Amino acid sequence: MSAIVTTLEQRIGRGATTQEFFVNMGPQHPSTHGVLRLVLKLEGETVKDVIPVLGYVHRGVEKMGEHLSYRQFVHLTDRLDYLSALANNWAVAKAVEKAAGIETNERIETIRTLVAELQRIASHQLWWGVFGMDLGAFTPFLYGFRDRERITDILEETIGARLTMNYIQPGGVMFDLHPDFQRKVKEFIAYFRPKLEEYETLLSRNIIAQERMRGVGVLEAAQAVALGATGPVLRASGVAHDLRKSEPYGVYGKVEFDVPVGARGDCWDRYWVRIEEIRQSLRIIEQLIENIPEGKHLLVKPAVRTKVPEGITYSQVETARGVFGVLLVSDGKDVPYRIHVRTPNFNNLWAITRIAPGWRVADLVTMISSLDIVVPDIDR
Amino acid sequence: MGLITEKLPALVEPVPGGSVLLSSLDAVINWARSNSLWPLTFGTSCCAIEVMMAAGAARHDLARFGAEVTRPSPRQADLLVVAGTIVRKMAPRLKLLYEQMAEPRYVIATGSCAISGGPFIYNNYSTVRGADEIIPVDVYVPGCPPRPEAFFYGILMLQKLIREGESLRTPGVRRKPVLAALPAGITIEQIQQELRELLEPQGGRR
Amino acid sequence: METHELISAVQALEPAAVPREKVDRAAVVAPVERFLELMARLRDEPDLRFDMLCTHTAIDWIAEARLELVYCLYSTVHRHYLVVSASVPREAAVMPSMQALWPIAEWQEREVYDLFGVRYTGHPDLRRILLDDDWQGFPLRKDYRDDFMLEGPK
Repeated sequence: MSAIVTTLEQRIGRGATTQEFFVNMGPQHPSTHGVLRLVLKLEGETVKDVIPVLGYVHRGVEKMGEHLSYRQFVHLTDRLDYLSALANNWAVAKAVEKAAGIETNERIETIRTLVAELQRIASHQLWWGVFGMDLGAFTPFLYGFRDRERITDILEETIGARLTMNYIQPGGVMFDLHPDFQRKVKEFIAYFRPKLEEYETLLSRNIIAQERMRGVGVLEAAQAVALGATGPVLRASGVAHDLRKSEPYGVYGKVEFDVPVGARGDCWDRYWVRIEEIRQSLRIIEQLIENIPEGKHLLVKPAVRTKVPEGITYSQVETARGVFGVLLVSDGKDVPYRIHVRTPNFNNLWAITRIAPGWRVADLVTMISSLDIVVPDIDR
Repeated sequence: MGLITEKLPALVEPVPGGSVLLSSLDAVINWARSNSLWPLTFGTSCCAIEVMMAAGAARHDLARFGAEVTRPSPRQADLLVVAGTIVRKMAPRLKLLYEQMAEPRYVIATGSCAISGGPFIYNNYSTVRGADEIIPVDVYVPGCPPRPEAFFYGILMLQKLIREGESLRTPGVRRKPVLAALPAGITIEQIQQELRELLEPQGGRR
Repeated sequence: METHELISAVQALEPAAVPREKVDRAAVVAPVERFLELMARLRDEPDLRFDMLCTHTAIDWIAEARLELVYCLYSTVHRHYLVVSASVPREAAVMPSMQALWPIAEWQEREVYDLFGVRYTGHPDLRRILLDDDWQGFPLRKDYRDDFMLEGPK
């Protein structure tokens, strides 16, 4: 009458193994931030390999650029990395100004720096909210957007758009600052500083969030450099490469700020670097907002078809995601012969093929989110 | 829950011990359908930030219109919001997503890219000129990208459309698509005329 | 390093390299034959240390029937830039792959192949990256035409 107790393992059979199989993640998937498609090679729930498949929003911007004047091309860069639209505009403006020898004044550069930094904060707020959502917490999404709307309001008052700005153009900026700009930005800083502490309490100090980030998806410095990663992804791996410091443009050379650098290159470092960058951006804005120099905001005629002398110009700016570069090839006409955009996300994305193998699918979502990918910027 | 923007077309008869509500089944079903739209999370580019994320977030709050339950699976969704550019590589996938949705299904095309190709029409080898080249669209919401408020107007238009429809017996029948942009009575010709007057000096050429 | 120092440093490695005119930073044109060796030394020489391939693209000079392949290099150690370019004929565009030197080149080269039709020797996985696999033609070439494209209003 002795009942034999069995285990589940015996029921399944001792030698049972799992098979490797492929799973498509995307192009329509809530965690790929758009229409990125990842082909995953899985063994059970463990990721063996990640093969990104691109092009689901490839819009042929570079071909269109060969038919548009330089001023007309600016608005297409809005739609690449739409969360850093102003920085992207700036890259084109900088390239054309450098190539055609257009001078700008102190006021223009200050305005550009101010609005670009405001948008960097807005971009990181959105990333923070979405990152929280990808970790399974919905509240950060609401908090992040609540505060982002304040920046959107300030920018909308001056620029007239919430997302696709088309504001910084060769030779200046489209509109002068709204009379309320200074007051509202100061109000925003006073409002947002305590809120940033709230972010830290809500997510950074949350033990579950920390456990899901610390040590997950380590990208080593040498790997990051060889992959051409830039922005917070590179800095989290310990390389202090920030164009705002290394080759200052705008008025970055005149303000004090630190470049936060991570130690290990895991998801936590990427998280921490971005949160710290918000603080540094607030510092930059605080230093500039009191004394905006007087002057004209636009030194060329608004819709002028600038002629650019023959040659190649490469100019780049630091967006919220990394180095956005514009390679401009001119043959002396008012339309570029060829225009190439080097986008930060294209290079940052490939880090996923190096950091994901060995982790679970749920961690993969954390890693994608920690790279802060904007898909139209990858596909162009 | 949702803000019920229009009352259920019904007759309420007070009787001892309560009231009796008289309505047609069509009206009840349409009313219920229109107030609980479940959108599919489908955003390809910039519009996704405005109409999917900002619209659903704290300030704008899509939940007021009963459409906040975004579903990642097309099987569980009945509203496809085409938020962003559709390119030739994505087109077959969009059609597949649409076909996977159960009837009745509705489509809102937001932003100029999904309406006509937007800024990416000319000299472009890749961008499809409007989502309606691939799938039928019910409501167009213009903007580049549209504000969340504009998207809400589009949702309200769609709710009106659903309530007017006969979707119990023939759920697959399509009505004429509408443009959720201009108040009734204003035509595109009038706007063009106004623009012309604004741009050209009086007694100018023409 | 200053622009002229960089150019002479490159010329010390590859005598056939000539400075490229009309570029806003240090730029050289190198012959295709020994391109891979030159790039390997640019990456490894302690004075140069170009450890990041910033971007790689092509320019279609259709009048001269050649494709100019542009490599923009950056050194995170010395913080200097160098643009290296090489020309290949349009009709038989073949180039050695830089994938072994900078892993990111794998995908940048796939993009150039996709849009310009340059074939890279030694590339592990040369497929189209942005367009469908069955796409005909290379859209960023100047003479690309298809039925789908619309001419802009004049």
